Amino acid sequence: MLATHLGPSGDLAPWAVWAAVALALASFAMLLVEMRQRHRGGVFIAVTGLLAVAGLLAAILRPARVTARESVVGARVVVLADTSRSMALSQSGEARWEARDRALEALARTASNARISVLSFGDGPPRPLPLALGERASERLTTAAAHSDLGAAIRAIAASPEERPSALVVVSDGRLDDPPEGASDATLRALGEALRIPIDTVATTPAAPADASVRHVSAAGAAVAHVPLPLRVEVGCAGGLACDDVTVTARELRDDGPPTVLATGVAHVKDGKAALDLTVTLERAGARIVEVGIVAPPGDAIPENDRRLVTFHVARERVRVLHIAGRPTNDVRALRQWLKSDASVDVVAFFILRTPTDDVHASQNELSLIPFPVDELFTEHLPSFDAVVLQDFDAQPYGLEKYLTNIARYVRGGGGLVMVGGQNSFVAGGYAGTPLADVLPVDLDGSPGATSADTSGFVPEWTAEGRAAPLLSPLRDVVGDELPEMPGTNILGDVRAGAVALWSHPTRTTQSGAKMPVLAVGEPGDGRTIALGVDGAWGLEFSQLGARTAGRGHGALWDGLLGWLMRDPRFEPAQLDLVGGCTAGLPSTLRAHLLPAAANTPPQALSLEVTRIDRPQAPVRVEGTRAADASTVDLALPPLPPGGYTARLRIGGGEATRHDFACEAGGDEWADSRPDPSRLARLASVTGGTSVAAEQASSLRMPRPTVVSAERRVSPVAPPWVWTLAATILLGVHWIARRRSGLS
Amino acid sequence: MTRKPLWLAALALALAGALVLLAPRPARAFGDVGGFDPRVLLTGSQTGPAHATAPGRWSWELIQRTSAPARLRPSVVRADDPAIVDAPFLYWSGDADVAPLTGSEIAGLRRFFSLGGVLLVDDAGAGPAGEPSGFGRGARREIARVLPDGTPIAIGVDHVVFRTFYLLRRAEGRVQGPPSLDAIVRGGQAQVLFSEHDLGGALARGASGAWELPVVPGGDLQREQAIRLAVNVAMYVLCSNYKDDQVHAPFLMRRRALSGP
Repeated sequence: MLATHLGPSGDLAPWAVWAAVALALASFAMLLVEMRQRHRGGVFIAVTGLLAVAGLLAAILRPARVTARESVVGARVVVLADTSRSMALSQSGEARWEARDRALEALARTASNARISVLSFGDGPPRPLPLALGERASERLTTAAAHSDLGAAIRAIAASPEERPSALVVVSDGRLDDPPEGASDATLRALGEALRIPIDTVATTPAAPADASVRHVSAAGAAVAHVPLPLRVEVGCAGGLACDDVTVTARELRDDGPPTVLATGVAHVKDGKAALDLTVTLERAGARIVEVGIVAPPGDAIPENDRRLVTFHVARERVRVLHIAGRPTNDVRALRQWLKSDASVDVVAFFILRTPTDDVHASQNELSLIPFPVDELFTEHLPSFDAVVLQDFDAQPYGLEKYLTNIARYVRGGGGLVMVGGQNSFVAGGYAGTPLADVLPVDLDGSPGATSADTSGFVPEWTAEGRAAPLLSPLRDVVGDELPEMPGTNILGDVRAGAVALWSHPTRTTQSGAKMPVLAVGEPGDGRTIALGVDGAWGLEFSQLGARTAGRGHGALWDGLLGWLMRDPRFEPAQLDLVGGCTAGLPSTLRAHLLPAAANTPPQALSLEVTRIDRPQAPVRVEGTRAADASTVDLALPPLPPGGYTARLRIGGGEATRHDFACEAGGDEWADSRPDPSRLARLASVTGGTSVAAEQASSLRMPRPTVVSAERRVSPVAPPWVWTLAATILLGVHWIARRRSGLS
Repeated sequence: MTRKPLWLAALALALAGALVLLAPRPARAFGDVGGFDPRVLLTGSQTGPAHATAPGRWSWELIQRTSAPARLRPSVVRADDPAIVDAPFLYWSGDADVAPLTGSEIAGLRRFFSLGGVLLVDDAGAGPAGEPSGFGRGARREIARVLPDGTPIAIGVDHVVFRTFYLLRRAEGRVQGPPSLDAIVRGGQAQVLFSEHDLGGALARGASGAWELPVVPGGDLQREQAIRLAVNVAMYVLCSNYKDDQVHAPFLMRRRALSGP
């Protein structure tokens, strides 16, 4: 719109205009003071004096006509809308996000003259709300944030180089991570001072739903295998729900059977909350998922937060290994010495030193032999071991057969098992067709007359997977491709589905025609197993190769094997982590950090399988490709139901790496379902803003718009000489009036 | 003889044959390569051990008495042979002074020890009270050149060698000698054992089956103790300090107490 108005001056700066006006007013004031001492002709002198001063002022300023194109620009208003998971909670038939969106619409109507930016807050800096204002945002898109970090959002706006907003409105349920519950006024005020504007707030939810929940689970220190871990469980009851004693149970989710109860207790609720200390002991290292749940009283409106799924990364203080050898040999000696040389390995060893047919020529008291406590070991103590090594051990004479089911269950539950070759191992040890054979990475021929061993010497061959396997990289670093000659091998069958052969026999084949595996690894259930079908690994220590490598090859082999069995990250082909965690019902991203690939490696196929831990469910399979130079690959997971999951990633045909994770329906955001409108009210109060309920969002006052002029054109009202002439005349008239009154 | 027993015997034979045929066939030699091998160490002009049949008898006794596999035909290796590093045990015996070890012999033995090998030095010429012969003195002198940082110390019944299989009260061989052995301990392991008891002399047995040498002063009882010591040394080589594990402690303490001083 083109507009014309009169300006005080066409060329003087505003300060000069104001200085001139001030001087003129001062001159006229002095004239009035002078007139108070005279009565004759005073009015005439004052009038002429006023005109003279005005004329002089006009001559100095020279007024101009200003023509410009003007527009009205609305003030920038930023609305921060809470998009955390808690906005998906419902009560009285309405979800919090619906109240939030209604308030946003009302604000949009109220601030029709303002430039309104609706941003979401939750995880970190704010982001534009994905849907246009006025449309009802879908629940899925706008209630996905795992946190309610208002502080981070405000600080990000303050640090932004964009135009500083004139007003900030926060629309939330008030259940915020930052500022936290009980934050001081100074903390709240600091948020307003970051932007130097008041903060208005709109509370979406006035009252708490009837809900009992596990609000928080915390552990005192890090989780260590076999070491009791104190847990503090905080239970909450709100919304008028009748809570008194609430039973709390901690269970470990396992993929080899139903969850294992770790601890249980009763929380005594007082003033709507209770804290209970439980002690749990996790036997297996690695990522373990513990479900902490309550038995909620009737009327609980949000059953999803009656249980929390907590992932503990269980470390090992020491690795406990049960080493059982059927007879003492150089191979047994070498393995024992390696196990004993590692201070972090706790070895419990039982070697069969005497068979029933041996004639010892001595009474029992003259022998140092002790009974082999097979019953005790494989029932009571088995879970306390991280790995079991069966070396050249025949199951039949020592009563181990009846415990093979136990050992298989132990492996599927997360234990490690190594079967090392010898004349009493594998088929010769009577393991074929037993439950233990089912968890070995290779098939065993249990048919009558099956050959158990080949006594011909041979040098094992590396398979392609063996060359690429991180678990054998320490050995390859020492010996390269070279391996010592083995004095024979146990006859092993094909590798099982999902298992990988790392060494193979140069000439022998399996029934399928494949090269016979000599060293193979597998992952049955939650555990890991290794089959080493030779008893000549000690040749890596005592041989010409051993002498050239200072005997380090044997230790390097077992470093990798035991490390892989214990899920040492150094020996995993990849490290997996969930970007931003997993929220049930929402897509998530699994990021694979991969080991550097060798030069000229072609793109590798990645195969990811996600299986449910706590109940049967069809696995989710995701395929991907690793570019030759990629060090990370993101794999998109579809929305998953709440529960515990195991992700297994396989690169090419190599061994799999595993990552356990939990998906919760609401996580921390649903753990405490109470809204907190009072926190929003305090935030508004200390920053000078206004707090209203969602229904009153339209009552918030928005800042006035700003007028912006463009295409400004200035033209003088009269030529300068006209103003000068007029001022001269008026000064002359004033001088005459003064002379007539006797003034100088 | 009636026909029925014949028929039954034939059936039993057939069944036994079928069982033999159907059972998984164990390897005959697989696993024995890693068994105990009392490898004879030769240095200088030595051509064999002091008692030629002792190493084989040692293996035989081990096989008869324990579950450990062993080589009935032990190998022989010279100190400067590259094959010295092919197994973790060496048996060096003699009754005469040994020639100074050559540089390559010293190097070979050092390679063997650096891998953790164990050497038993058996003085076949030791006197009744264990007075060392020329071999005993010479062997100590030469080992000191190989392992200049190792000093022999006496190891008694507290050492695991005395309980790796049998609970022994003292060391004995063809001669009674001192109650203890001497050892050079490196990295917590007794890598060189010195016996002034002529252990091989107690083990040596001729082709006729008769013991080659009398055992003095204890006779057969002392010979049995010598064989037990040999078995224990073999078990120490194969199991190292297995009997030092905590799990064995209460059993062994009880048995020591039961058998009296």
